[in-house]
Amino acid sequence: MSGVVAAAVVTALGSPAATAYDGFGPVTVDVPRERWVEAHEAARTAGAVFFDLLTAYDLGEDGFAVVAHVATADLVDHVLLRTTVPREEPVLATATSVHRGAAWHERETHEMFGIDFAGNERLDPLLLPEGFGAAPLRKDFVLAARAARPWPGDKDPSDSGGRARRRSRPPGVPAEWPEAGT
Amino acid sequence: MTAADRPPRTRGVIALVEESCTVCMLCVRECPDWCIEIDSHTESLPADDIHRRPRTEAVLDRFAIDFALCMYCGICVEVCPFDALHWSPTAEYAGTSSAALVHERDRLAAHEAGVPSPPALDPRGVSDDPGPRRPAARP
Repeated sequence: MSGVVAAAVVTALGSPAATAYDGFGPVTVDVPRERWVEAHEAARTAGAVFFDLLTAYDLGEDGFAVVAHVATADLVDHVLLRTTVPREEPVLATATSVHRGAAWHERETHEMFGIDFAGNERLDPLLLPEGFGAAPLRKDFVLAARAARPWPGDKDPSDSGGRARRRSRPPGVPAEWPEAGT
Repeated sequence: MTAADRPPRTRGVIALVEESCTVCMLCVRECPDWCIEIDSHTESLPADDIHRRPRTEAVLDRFAIDFALCMYCGICVEVCPFDALHWSPTAEYAGTSSAALVHERDRLAAHEAGVPSPPALDPRGVSDDPGPRRPAARP
């Protein structure tokens, strides 16, 4: 039955510390950052033994949201556990004490968002070269390739070879950067 | 598994029906990867009525999709207002360089032969074939 795990997590952590949001997809339970591991333990105790994924997204000034998807073994009931970490101190306790498989996802989230997972000792780079020194999936990461290459959509079919009148910077490129191809 | 075994609209390769393209640039501008490039020029057509001004028409010079950059999201296929772009299940076009993955308009047009008809909406019904994808030749 669906919704059982979410209800169990809210009961274990207590409302309003944990709040459930029943959107159009699986139920999302927002939990405080310091009770992240406790939420995972409560979900697993309620039957959500299958750890599907853990990732993050950039909220801008509000920091980062970290989301984990866990499900029961029969995949009937599932829940999204979500918490936010501040931009100034992007640290969260590791979920590997509950789900060992979270190590891989935490490693990737650390690489792409620069979020530290306290207690996970093996946050080595997975895809980026040694010493890359930036978190590419943060919104403030500058997409240099976008600045170097002219946008193909800048052409206007009405004036042959010309460029569209409306000029704008591509997403991810600062306004003060020089225009590509000029 | 060959292309024939894959279901219709499998995201194998994007086919172009050149005759349907009006060079509106929507696919180029919507592409999140910037992998479509279009070059065009305008030609003026004589007015069909002396009371009207001559019309201008955009003519396609180059249509290229860089499948090394493409992430197969299908936004270009969805956004095309004249159904000039279609998914073909053909996926056998590996190359030995990234330049070989840039398909120019002749190659994109050749992919159209592999585009299957859409499946029937009712599993026991007949295929809901909308007819030829290519518009009738202009007079």
